Amino acid sequence: MNCRFTEKISSLIDGELSPAETREVERHLLTCAQCEEARDDFLSLRSQITSFEATLPAAVQNRALAKILSAGERKKTSAAFGLGWRWILGTGALALASLAIVAVIIGLVYFQQPEQVAVKTTAPVPAPTLAPAPAASPAPTVEPEKTEKNEKESNAPQHQPTPRRSAPVREPKPGEQFAAIPENVRPADAQTMTALHFEKAENLLRAFRNVRLNEPDSAVEVSYERQRAQQLVYQNMMLRREADAAGDVQIGSLLESLEPILLDIANLPDKPDDDSVRVIRERVERKNIVALLQVNSTALARALD
Amino acid sequence: MASQDDEFTMLFQDFYPSLCRFLECLLGGRAPLAQDLAQESFLQLHRTAWGTLPPDEARFWLYRVARNLAINEFRKSNTRYRLFDRVVEAMRPAARNPEQEYETRERKELVLEMLQTLPEDQRAALLLREQEQLSYREIGQVLNISESKVKVDIFRARAALRERWSKRVKVAGASVS
Repeated sequence: MNCRFTEKISSLIDGELSPAETREVERHLLTCAQCEEARDDFLSLRSQITSFEATLPAAVQNRALAKILSAGERKKTSAAFGLGWRWILGTGALALASLAIVAVIIGLVYFQQPEQVAVKTTAPVPAPTLAPAPAASPAPTVEPEKTEKNEKESNAPQHQPTPRRSAPVREPKPGEQFAAIPENVRPADAQTMTALHFEKAENLLRAFRNVRLNEPDSAVEVSYERQRAQQLVYQNMMLRREADAAGDVQIGSLLESLEPILLDIANLPDKPDDDSVRVIRERVERKNIVALLQVNSTALARALD
Repeated sequence: MASQDDEFTMLFQDFYPSLCRFLECLLGGRAPLAQDLAQESFLQLHRTAWGTLPPDEARFWLYRVARNLAINEFRKSNTRYRLFDRVVEAMRPAARNPEQEYETRERKELVLEMLQTLPEDQRAALLLREQEQLSYREIGQVLNISESKVKVDIFRARAALRERWSKRVKVAGASVS
C-alpha cells in the first residue's frame, strides 16, 4: 500500500472527492493494480460491516419505546405530585400543593399514633419550671400534686409500649430530603451501599412475593414488608441520584425501576386487599426485577473484591 | 403533545435498530448493553432535547450521546456487564435454525473481532460511515472532530482492517494446506 493514491481511494469510495479529483483517481485506477486491489478490499470490508445485523428482538424495541414514553408520563405525574426533583425547586402552586400533601400526611401519621405518646412527649416540659417552686415557697399543697403527677408520668411509659418510630412514608419537606438522608446513605463507597441496597431490596421483594393471599377470615399481612420498603425508599432515591450524577446508566435505571415498586409497597394500607398486593407482585414479575437485583448486587460485590 | 410523541415514535422506529447496531459494533458485541444504551440515548433525547432540537439534528445528537455513553462503559469495569450479558444470553430462546444461526453468529463475531482491533475513534468513524452512511462532515459533527481527521481515521481503519484480513486469510490458507 505504497501508492500515494491509496488514501484517495478511501475517499473515492465514500464519494468525498471533488469531481476533478474523482476523475484523476479513476484514471489512476486504470493503471495501478495496487490501488485497484485496495478499492476491492475496501469495498469488501464495507460489505462485511454493512451486513452486520444487530441482535434486536422486536419485543425489546417495543418495550424500550414504551418505557421511554411512560418515563415521560411518569415525569409529568411525579412533578404534579411533588415526588420528583422538581418539587423541591418548584414554585407557586406546585410548592403549595406539595406542602398541603405533606401536611395532610403528617396529620395522618400523628393521628394514627397512640394518644399517650403525645402525653409522654409533652409532659416532661413543664417539670423543670415546677421544680424551683417548692424551694421558693414550700407550699405543702403543691407537693402531693407534683408527686401524683410524677407518678403518673413515671408510670405512663411502663404501661404504654414503646412508641414505634417507623411512620408510613411521607413526602419529605423541602430540604429535609437532603438534610436527613445523607448520614445514612452517603457513605465513602457508594458502590458498597448500592450492593447492600440491592441485596436488601431483593430480600424484601422475595418476602413480598411470598405474602399469603386468599386466606379466608384473615386480612393480608404486609406490615413487615411495608416497614422495610419505607426504610429503603429514601435510600433508593439517594443512590439513584448518585448513580445518575456519576453517569452510571445501568444502576441508575435499575434503581429507577425499583423506586415506584418500593413506594407502592411502602404506601400500602394496614390491611390491603389481595388485588393491591397482586398488582404490585405482577409488576415485580413483569420487570424481572428480583433477578436483576441479584445479578447486579453479585456483580457489584465481585467488582468490589 | 400527541403529535410530538408520534414524531418521536417515528424517529425511534427509524433509528433505534441502527443505533443498537452501531453500539453493538462499538462495544464489541454485548447486545443487551447496546440496547440499554440506545434506549438511554433516546430517553435523554425525549427528556431533554426533544422539541428544542431541529429534526435533522436529532439523529446526530443521538449518535453523539450514544457514543459518549459507550465511552463511559469502556472506562468502567466490564465485570458487571459480562455477568449480566451472560445471564441475558442464557435466557434467550434457542434459534429456530441452528445451522443458519451458527453461520450468522460466526460472521458477526468475525466482524466484531476485527473491529475491536481498531482504536475507538477510528472504529466509531468507520461505523458511522459504513453502516449509517454519514458524510465526513456529519461524522465530524457527531464525533466533534475535523473533517480531515475523519478522513484520516477512516482510511487508517480500512488499511488496518485490510492488513489484518489478509493475514487472517493467509493463516487460514496455511492451516488448510
